[in-house]
Amino acid sequence: MISLTSPVRTRAHDWPAGAKLAGLCLATLGLFFLADPLAHLAALLAVLGLYALPGRRFLRAGWRSLRMLWPFVLVVGLYHLIDASPVQGAVIAMRLVTAVALATLVTMTTRLTEMIAVVHWLTAPLRRLRLNTRALEIAMALVIRLTPVLLDKGAALAESWRARSPRRPNWRIVLPFTLLALDDADHISDALRARGGLHSPED
Amino acid sequence: MKDVRLDQTDAHRPASRVALCSVGFAHEDRVVLDGLSLDLAVTRLGVVGRNGSGKTTLARVLAGLVAPATGSYRLNGIDLARDRKAALGEVGILFQNPDHQIIFPTVLEEIAFGLTQQGRRKPQAEDMARATLARFGKAHWEAAYINTLSHGQKHLVCLMAIVAMAPRLLILDEPFAGLDIPTRAQLRRYLAHYTGNMIHITHDPADLAGYDQALWLDRGRVREIGESAGVIAAYVAEMTRLGEADDIADLPG
Repeated sequence: MISLTSPVRTRAHDWPAGAKLAGLCLATLGLFFLADPLAHLAALLAVLGLYALPGRRFLRAGWRSLRMLWPFVLVVGLYHLIDASPVQGAVIAMRLVTAVALATLVTMTTRLTEMIAVVHWLTAPLRRLRLNTRALEIAMALVIRLTPVLLDKGAALAESWRARSPRRPNWRIVLPFTLLALDDADHISDALRARGGLHSPED
Repeated sequence: MKDVRLDQTDAHRPASRVALCSVGFAHEDRVVLDGLSLDLAVTRLGVVGRNGSGKTTLARVLAGLVAPATGSYRLNGIDLARDRKAALGEVGILFQNPDHQIIFPTVLEEIAFGLTQQGRRKPQAEDMARATLARFGKAHWEAAYINTLSHGQKHLVCLMAIVAMAPRLLILDEPFAGLDIPTRAQLRRYLAHYTGNMIHITHDPADLAGYDQALWLDRGRVREIGESAGVIAAYVAEMTRLGEADDIADLPG
């Protein structure tokens, strides 16, 4: 199952979320100042090394969530081959993978409540303007929690299709899937309301 | 319909006063609740009825998740659909499908969420969530990810999340549907950790052993209400009779 959570507890789980996010910002920014492909390769290998540190299970989980980047890498690669600028293409592709890998690393090793606390702190000025930032915070939780649920639902729908059709599921599955997701959204909104809804506890 | 009154107050456990006054609810043209009136002091109430009799809508109204379209509903004198802050301490609801209830990706965060919604600071909420886990003998679940849990385990997380908030009344909307026999038996035992009042909605009379009152809902109306054994016996007799008929053939309208 694809999820953005770590199967094992790592040392990075104990580091403060704000520091990890700030580090991520700086590192990503740094990647844009690197032009040398060898430097990019080194950065990519270093990040992969970080994935390997907590052990094989972590590495495998990380690989599963990074695998979905391949279409982007492919598109960038093809474009630059046609454009006859393979070195630049390699730099962009490596930069892309390194940046997403770093961000995924932070997501996998940070508890959601801590991440939300950082967002809460960052959005303090918005609250001073009397905007409700709680919705933003809850939305983050819902994405991480419900992505695997929705993927399961999609798989079940595709299976139900295959059980009664010799052909592979096609675009016609999109509408029923959307309806399922909307139905789930209704239920989740009930669950939110049952426990106090979107009002900030401090209001 | 005339009001039905029943009083069953336990000295140790103050009952929750459920007052429905000609409550109506419809999904487009289909009437789901049809002028329901009740005035009950609830400690343990079972609600039985067939699929489509309005049980889940009644549960949502009772929990204050929706306001009745017509009529009024008060729990201990509070309009729950309006006063959501007070509702959190009055009533909790356990849904049929735990994936419809769990909002956070890890167990501790899910249990602490309701507690912060009740106005507690995060560290205090997390301490209370840990205490609840310990009370259920599940301290080791703290950092577990919801998507790695079994269906029965997710049910238990939902139960712990509500028990932690300590509402005076717990509404169960067929929480055990589709679970295997051992899981049902285990969850039923865990349910005993909750000592407040309960309204248990089910179509399976076996869930209601030990309940003192029962309500039989039929097409959005009260068919029978009263002492549990009598209502359930009448319900089972009627369901057995209908089982031999073929009303599955009837289309709406």
